[in-house]
Amino acid sequence: MTSKNLRLASAILLALPGIGLTQSATNPPDLTGVWGIYRPGRGADPKFTAPPASPLAIKPEYQKAYDSRRATEADAAKRGEQLDTPGVRCVPYGFPGMMQVAVYPVEFIQTPKQITVVGEAFSEVRRIYLDRPQEKIEDVAPGYYGRAVGHWEGDTLVTDTVGIKPSISVYRGIPHSDQMRITERIRLIAPDILHDQITINDPVTLEKPLTYTVAYKRTKPDYEMVEFVCDNNREYVDEKGVVRMKVESK
Amino acid sequence: MKSKLRQTLFTVLGSLLVALPVLAHHSFTMFDMSKSLTLAGTVTDFQWTNPHVYIEIDVPGDKGATSHWSVEMGSPSILIQSGWKFSSLHKGDKVTLVINPLKNGQTGGFLGKATLPDGRTLGNGPGREP
Repeated sequence: MTSKNLRLASAILLALPGIGLTQSATNPPDLTGVWGIYRPGRGADPKFTAPPASPLAIKPEYQKAYDSRRATEADAAKRGEQLDTPGVRCVPYGFPGMMQVAVYPVEFIQTPKQITVVGEAFSEVRRIYLDRPQEKIEDVAPGYYGRAVGHWEGDTLVTDTVGIKPSISVYRGIPHSDQMRITERIRLIAPDILHDQITINDPVTLEKPLTYTVAYKRTKPDYEMVEFVCDNNREYVDEKGVVRMKVESK
Repeated sequence: MKSKLRQTLFTVLGSLLVALPVLAHHSFTMFDMSKSLTLAGTVTDFQWTNPHVYIEIDVPGDKGATSHWSVEMGSPSILIQSGWKFSSLHKGDKVTLVINPLKNGQTGGFLGKATLPDGRTLGNGPGREP
C-alpha cells in the first residue's frame, strides 16, 4: 500500500463510526494466552465473575415461536429426554457460542493487525481484523463466525461481527435475522481476568439489544490446547428426535 | 453424605445452566444420575476420542455369562484435568467402574469413578472428582 493509499484508508477508517483507529492502538494490552471460563462458585471471586445479563426482549411476533420451542425442550427434560441440537451432532457452535463452551478454554493470539481466537471445543477459530473496515452487512456470506473487525478504545478491544447464519444459536436459541450485529468489548479487568462483554443487536427480532458477559481467568502459563476432532460421536438422534447413546454390542 | 453432596452439585450445576447460556455437547438426561452401578471387569477397548472418551468393558456375571458395557466419559480435554491420559487403560486391564446407567436399560452408562489396575481412583473431570 502506498503512503497516499494508507492515509486515505486511515481517513476512511476514522470517518466510520465504531471502527476508528485510536491512538492507543500503538500500545494495547496483550491478550495473547489461554483463558479458562471463570464461573461463579468454587471459590471464584464475585468481583471478577460475569455480571448478570440484560433482560431478554424479543419482539412479540417472534416471542411465541421462541416460547414454544423452550416449552418443548422443558417438557422433554421433564421426561428425562434431550432433543436434537447441532452440538449433539458435533456441528460446531459458531460465534458467540464458541466463546463459552462448558469448561473448554479459548486461546487469544494477538498481532498488531489481527486477533485470532481459538476455542478448544471443536477447535473453532475466529479472526478479528484490526486493519480494515467492516463490509456492508449484505455483502457478508452468512457463516459460523461471520466477519469480525476490531479496534482498540484505550485498553478495550471493541469488535463488530456480522454475517452469522440463522441456524447458529447466538443466545439460548433466540431468533435472529440477517440484520444482526454482535459487538464485543473485551478488556482485562485484572492482570489475569478477562471480560468479554457481548451485545447482540437485531432490529428485526429484538426489542432492544441483549448484553451479557463471559468472564475468563488465565490458565497456567504452560497450558497446551488439546485438539478436538469429533470422529467418534456415539450420540445419535432416534426416530422421535431424542438423543441416545450407541452401545457397543459384544 | 456423598449422595447429598452429589445432589448439591447437580443443583448448583442446574442453576448455572439456567443462569448462563452454557453450551455442552449434550446433557446428562439419558443417564439415571440418581442410580449408581458398580462394574468390575476387563477392558476390551479404551477409546481416547472426541467428543467423548469410552471404556468398553466385559463384566463377568452369574453362571459364567459375561455382559458387555459401554461407558461414556468426558472429552480428552476435560479428563486430562483430572489425571487421565490416553494410556491410562489398555485392553485386558482389570478395572472397577462406578457408573450412572442409561435410563433405557441398555448396557451403557456415564462414568462416576474408575479404579485403575495400579490402584488409583480417577473421576470424570473437574467437578466430577471421585
